[in-house]
Amino acid sequence: MSNKHFKLPLFVLLATTGLFFTACNNDDDDGTAQENITTIQVHLTGAGLDQEFEWNDLDGVGGNNPVIDTIVVPAMTGDILSHIHVYDRSKTPEVDITDEIEAESGAHLLTYAVAGANLNIAYDDADDNGKPLGIKTIWTNTGASTGTLRIILYHEPSNKDNLSDPGGETDFDVTFPVVVQ
Amino acid sequence: MSERFWLLTLAAVLGLAAALPAQDCHVALRGHVYDAETREPLAYATVRVAETNLGTMADENGYYVLPDHCEGTTYTVIVTHVACEHFTQVVKLVENQAFDFWLSHVAHLQEITVLERAVAPTPVQASQEVSSSDLAAGQGVNITETMKKLPGVTSINTGATIAKPVIQGLHSNRIALINNQVTLESQQWGSEHAPEIDPFTAGKITVLKGAAGVRYGVGAMGGAILIEPEPLREKAGWGGWLHGGVFSNGLAGVAAGAADWKKAEGSLAIRLQGTIKRSGNLRAPDYWLGNTGASEANLSVMTGWQSGRWRHDLSASTFNQKLGILRASHQGNLTDLLLAIEADTPRNNQNWFAYDIARPYQTVNHQTFQYRTGLRLNEKWKFSGQYSLQYNERKEYDVVRKTSAAADKPQLLFDLWTNQVNLALEHFPIRHWQGGVGVQALQQKNTVGKGGLIPNYDTYGGAIWAMERWRKYPNPWEFEVGARYDYRYTNVFTTGNLVDVDTTLVFGNVSGTVGAVYHFNKSLSLSLHSGYAWRPPHVNELYARGVHFGSGIYEQGRSDLRPEKALNTNLTLLYQAKRVVASLSVYHNSIKDFIYLEPQDELVLTVRGAFPAYFFEQDDAILQGLDGSVSVPVFGRMSVEGRVSLLRAYRMTRDSGESMDHKTWLPLMPSDRYQYGMKWRFGRDEQTTNNSESFVRLLASTTLEQTRLPQEGLLKPAPEAFTVLALEAVHTFVIGKKTLEVGLNVQNLTNLRYREYLNFFRFYADEPGLNAGLRAKITF
Repeated sequence: MSNKHFKLPLFVLLATTGLFFTACNNDDDDGTAQENITTIQVHLTGAGLDQEFEWNDLDGVGGNNPVIDTIVVPAMTGDILSHIHVYDRSKTPEVDITDEIEAESGAHLLTYAVAGANLNIAYDDADDNGKPLGIKTIWTNTGASTGTLRIILYHEPSNKDNLSDPGGETDFDVTFPVVVQ
Repeated sequence: MSERFWLLTLAAVLGLAAALPAQDCHVALRGHVYDAETREPLAYATVRVAETNLGTMADENGYYVLPDHCEGTTYTVIVTHVACEHFTQVVKLVENQAFDFWLSHVAHLQEITVLERAVAPTPVQASQEVSSSDLAAGQGVNITETMKKLPGVTSINTGATIAKPVIQGLHSNRIALINNQVTLESQQWGSEHAPEIDPFTAGKITVLKGAAGVRYGVGAMGGAILIEPEPLREKAGWGGWLHGGVFSNGLAGVAAGAADWKKAEGSLAIRLQGTIKRSGNLRAPDYWLGNTGASEANLSVMTGWQSGRWRHDLSASTFNQKLGILRASHQGNLTDLLLAIEADTPRNNQNWFAYDIARPYQTVNHQTFQYRTGLRLNEKWKFSGQYSLQYNERKEYDVVRKTSAAADKPQLLFDLWTNQVNLALEHFPIRHWQGGVGVQALQQKNTVGKGGLIPNYDTYGGAIWAMERWRKYPNPWEFEVGARYDYRYTNVFTTGNLVDVDTTLVFGNVSGTVGAVYHFNKSLSLSLHSGYAWRPPHVNELYARGVHFGSGIYEQGRSDLRPEKALNTNLTLLYQAKRVVASLSVYHNSIKDFIYLEPQDELVLTVRGAFPAYFFEQDDAILQGLDGSVSVPVFGRMSVEGRVSLLRAYRMTRDSGESMDHKTWLPLMPSDRYQYGMKWRFGRDEQTTNNSESFVRLLASTTLEQTRLPQEGLLKPAPEAFTVLALEAVHTFVIGKKTLEVGLNVQNLTNLRYREYLNFFRFYADEPGLNAGLRAKITF
């Protein structure tokens, strides 16, 4: 047996192995990107009010519990305008996800459910198809009360006409304590 | 049982072996194998003695030697060679006499010869081989599908596209997959991470049940699956096969082929093998399963040659897969999950056929390079060495906003490099003991993308093992004993994650095995095997922290988990006559510090709402059960077959305020299952190998409802019992020197609507409906 016998297969193998190993290693940096919603901000304006209330879970799932502001609304003051902002503050600089939601307005829906408080919330915007979106809302109230406000963001809802079960999947589902005073 | 007990047992048995008196059975059976037509010596024929089950391979000059046979005894010698006829001859052994055999070519018979393995097969442990017809039928689907007809083997699924084998209730990190003698190293901790093995590379699949840690290391606590390629071509010239298959469900197509070449002079042989697969959305009886398409492309090169007394084998393979994940399975939060579970038909389903694979999906690349060498030191001793390099890359793509930075990137990324070296020194029978010693070394680097479920880690491992088995024909007893020590050093760290981990883990432990077989006669044997094996806790179990959206639970690791230790005992009765085959196995697996997910009383509040919390915990667990199979001819060429797999799996827990442990059933264990069917064989009867049989088979599989469930954490009751039917027909045509095998395989013949407990997607959708597959394989 001479050395000739294993030169050919060795070459073939090294050549092909080289191909295999280089073919799939073209990712720069880390290559991944995860969306991590850490913050939901409710910005209320009107009736002498200009205030932000936040729901924050900066360390993500598990670990420390979320920090949640109590939304305080003055009683019987007429229309208050609300604008929702969504952030990922686990990244530096923080990522404003609100723009992405507005850019794909047809694939998103925010719903509002008030329990206990005398608060009414009406949609003040629409998506590309004229269906509700819910980034902007108008809040009115009928007097002092306390309760909770649950805000849900749906991604790719299948039926925007059914606000209690629009389908799709939930991107966030947060509940704020609410005081009307 | 303590480690000390095991070491003492081993020492006692080994001591006993050394004390045995010398026997007079040291005569070698030897001679040459010749080609009957050319009168030339025939290289690399396999020579095996039926009675002692000892075999060897003739060298390049056709010379073979089988030491340690008894003088004056009559033996049945079977000589096989690729492209040659089976040759069986009864010889009476006389010392100083050579036995020469003459083989003639028969073109249409392709015998499978078994090369000497780096580590000898286990004779004592309960093992079962996938029949070549089951192998051929499952090859177009996935590697797990090929094994499901073995009793005690089931699968755990994530939808219809991801399946992992389960041996006697254990899976993932608790069983080892050995592909062409290399232990597959990938992200096997995840139950939604299917094995990266192309079933078309397999010439033979053997499932070892119970603790196989001595032979296959810490991964083989619950068993091992050995996937071996067909040996390289041993006759000069070209050969190969082409396989084409189509499936009605998912409009799937698969093409695979292999080309073999052997140099005219010398020993160099090469094989090039490739597979491509494509499938679209599958269909359940009542609706399409949106986004369940898959694509796969694999390629492998194998080569082997002899250089003097050295044998060399080099191979490289690449496995590339893209798997769509049922869109309806993607849940944002617990409310979505509960709505999906309540719904009769999947919510958010893409109820149409498409080949497109959209998010969510996963891609997997697995590359393997290996070099193996063997040196016959003398008539008694053999050295073997193997080096392997594996690279595994897994990317998981979630549903994201199309305009976000994540739109063209995976959300999870795992990158695993593994280097392994195995060295072994093995001997042929010395005073009827056959076995060897060996060392193994492993280095592993796992990198997880930012925000991944688990930290990064670097592992260094080493092992030393020894294994011996005793058989003295015609003594009806056979014994096996082995021991191993494994050491693992792991550095765990995170970079840029929200949770910081930076620590070092060191684990070391012994494994042991003892076994005995009693042969009542040629056909009936009883074996008792006991194995002790362990597994260090995986980084996932130690440091996981996150929501598992598929199951809607928050999982949290515990950094102080201890290794799992399993003591597995298996009693097997095996009857193998000409046409009747029956086996019955009872097993008891006692696992100390079994790691599982324990539901907590609290909910974890996240931005997506509240999730029930599950923490990794450990307790002692017992898994015991029975596997049986039988195949009996009824009349003519019709036979009936049956299989049964029963399992009872529980852990012993003590709640606060209790003075005694109580049984709690373990979750996600296979329910009792039965298979029964009829098979009609036609065509040539005797002389046919398994590879070329022609038959029609109707098989029913009944899976009972899993009623042994833990009380907590049940989102939905386990699915009801069901019986699915499968029809299979295979015929082989011989066209000149080629053979054409045509097979029809219909799964879920009655288009039954059912769900399987061991499928994580049972919450969302039914299992696929009727699937008719047609395949053709031409061998030349």
